[in-house]
Amino acid sequence: MVAAGSRCAHDAVKITSGRNERTNLPSSQTPLPGSCAVDPTSVRPALDDAEVERVERGDLRARLIALRQAGASMLLDLGAVDYLERVPRFDVVYHLLFLPVSGAKIADVACPRRMRILVGISADDAMLPSVVDLWPNADWAEREVFDLFGIRFEGHPNLTRIQMPADWEGHPLRKDYPVRGFVGEATPRPSFASKSNVPAGTPPSGRVAEALREQVSRATEKSS
Amino acid sequence: MTTRVTADHLPPLPDDVSYDVIDRGPNTMTLSIGPQHPSTHGVLQVVVEISGEIVTKAEMEIGYLHTGIEKTAENLFWTQAATVIERMDYLAPVSNALCYLLAVEKLLGVTEKIPERAQHVRVLLVELTRIASHCVWLGTHGIDLGAITAFWYAFDIREKILDLMELSGGARMHPNYLRIGGLASDLPDGFLEKLDAFLASTPERLRDLRVLLQNNPIWRDRTIDVGILSAEDALAWGITGPSLRACGIAYDVRRAYPYSGYERYEFDVPVRAEGDAYARFLVRLDEMDESLRIVRQIRRDLQPGPIVIADPKIVPPPKETIAISMEALIHHFKIMSEGFRVPPGDVYQAVESPRGELGYYIVSNGDNRPYRVRTRPPSLYNLQVLKKIALGNLISDMVVTIGSLDPVFGEVDR
Repeated sequence: MVAAGSRCAHDAVKITSGRNERTNLPSSQTPLPGSCAVDPTSVRPALDDAEVERVERGDLRARLIALRQAGASMLLDLGAVDYLERVPRFDVVYHLLFLPVSGAKIADVACPRRMRILVGISADDAMLPSVVDLWPNADWAEREVFDLFGIRFEGHPNLTRIQMPADWEGHPLRKDYPVRGFVGEATPRPSFASKSNVPAGTPPSGRVAEALREQVSRATEKSS
Repeated sequence: MTTRVTADHLPPLPDDVSYDVIDRGPNTMTLSIGPQHPSTHGVLQVVVEISGEIVTKAEMEIGYLHTGIEKTAENLFWTQAATVIERMDYLAPVSNALCYLLAVEKLLGVTEKIPERAQHVRVLLVELTRIASHCVWLGTHGIDLGAITAFWYAFDIREKILDLMELSGGARMHPNYLRIGGLASDLPDGFLEKLDAFLASTPERLRDLRVLLQNNPIWRDRTIDVGILSAEDALAWGITGPSLRACGIAYDVRRAYPYSGYERYEFDVPVRAEGDAYARFLVRLDEMDESLRIVRQIRRDLQPGPIVIADPKIVPPPKETIAISMEALIHHFKIMSEGFRVPPGDVYQAVESPRGELGYYIVSNGDNRPYRVRTRPPSLYNLQVLKKIALGNLISDMVVTIGSLDPVFGEVDR
């Protein structure tokens, strides 16, 4: 976020209790409603052909190592969901693919198997063990989850922002991150007048001034 | 094939000059390629460390095209979200739309009810998109390597496919023609005639493309044994699609997890064992032929019939009924103004996009907007392996390697 008042002459607009002080309208920075007190993952049986398993954070790493040794050769995807009002708040989702590949040079994949591991973590201690050493492609996936959700991965070699600029504040895919509005509403767009490089009240100069003078003299000639 | 210059190949030097320059090991240089570089196929920055001409380290910087599509989709109605989701992989918009729709239809529980004609047309458009996408890849990959003739042949085929897309949905790149429950409208008059003309002319054009490149000595020299990816690495790095099948693993989502009626069509999954850029090129060429084969079967089997499910709570009524039926007007108004609700639950759906396994993990909390849309972008994972396979190769082969992985940055950055 750009610091208020550093580049723009306008005062910062304060947002209190979801209303813009200057306009007294609901702030566009207020997050949209939409939360999940219940857990959608538990209301019905799995709809797709993946096996679903929910593990505790403490058991996650051991379970993933066991699955890796049991033939989960590919980490298809690693993503996160923010349930905001649920406890724990976040779900991190590991999609695994079991590809039973024979030793032949061109291997036919007989019956692949998908698996989904869900692990819940709370916002105040959003930390998980990294799996980059098990599946190297977790590198970018974990960086993306860190960037967009603020969930940290312990043991990641380079846990930096990946999609957003390095100096970005906040984690955009969190549900309490606003969708609309300018950054912090601290720096509203300058009006067109303040964009001009000529300060207001400056007398005209050059050809404009000449033309104006000519007009004035012609008018005074006529009237006299 | 790359020949490495070693001291043995050089003519003898005078006594007072030594080979120190060649032998000095840690003398490396850091070089930034991109993000504005034509052969990075989008906005990719690669910071490479080179020793002589050999790449010793390659770090990539992505995110220049991040537009927050996942966040945007969370704030649109279920139907509207498909529009932005089509923009992720802008070379295969229909694949993205299809994957999202299949996931939503699973959540709604209407998967079994999708009419046969709608399924046929969906697969038809997806396969045409695959040919068009591979044509763009082949054309631009060829330009990177100095083979500009192939570009015109490839884009000629793509142009005809875009004409068909325009007929179907009204737009060339993002037709937004597939809808939850079926299709937006039936295929217009003249579509099938145009498709027939396309089917008649394209095999020959594809053969021309093959003749231009497959045995071209320059093409072979530039791509054979370049960017080699072993099967173990491909699995560990999450590579899918043609790049995986070029390493000898016949994993194709259309085969492993058939969707939208793929089990009805006869097609082969092209596989090569070499794992280099040339193998990836051959796999994609063969895939275009297989896609044409599927399109021909659809053309043969396509019968008139309904194109959407008969559920007025999900599908808006036909436009002509709105003026004469109060109920139709109300349904139309409700769907357009507040969308429809999807029962809570989570689902993972994958399709075989031109770049690999494209997946959507969608969570619904019972609202009229998706609660979370997580994409499994094939390009992101396919591109990531560059930092492994670029090592030890010549810097001039870097362009070949990036091109052969076929990344699309709308999808990498989303």
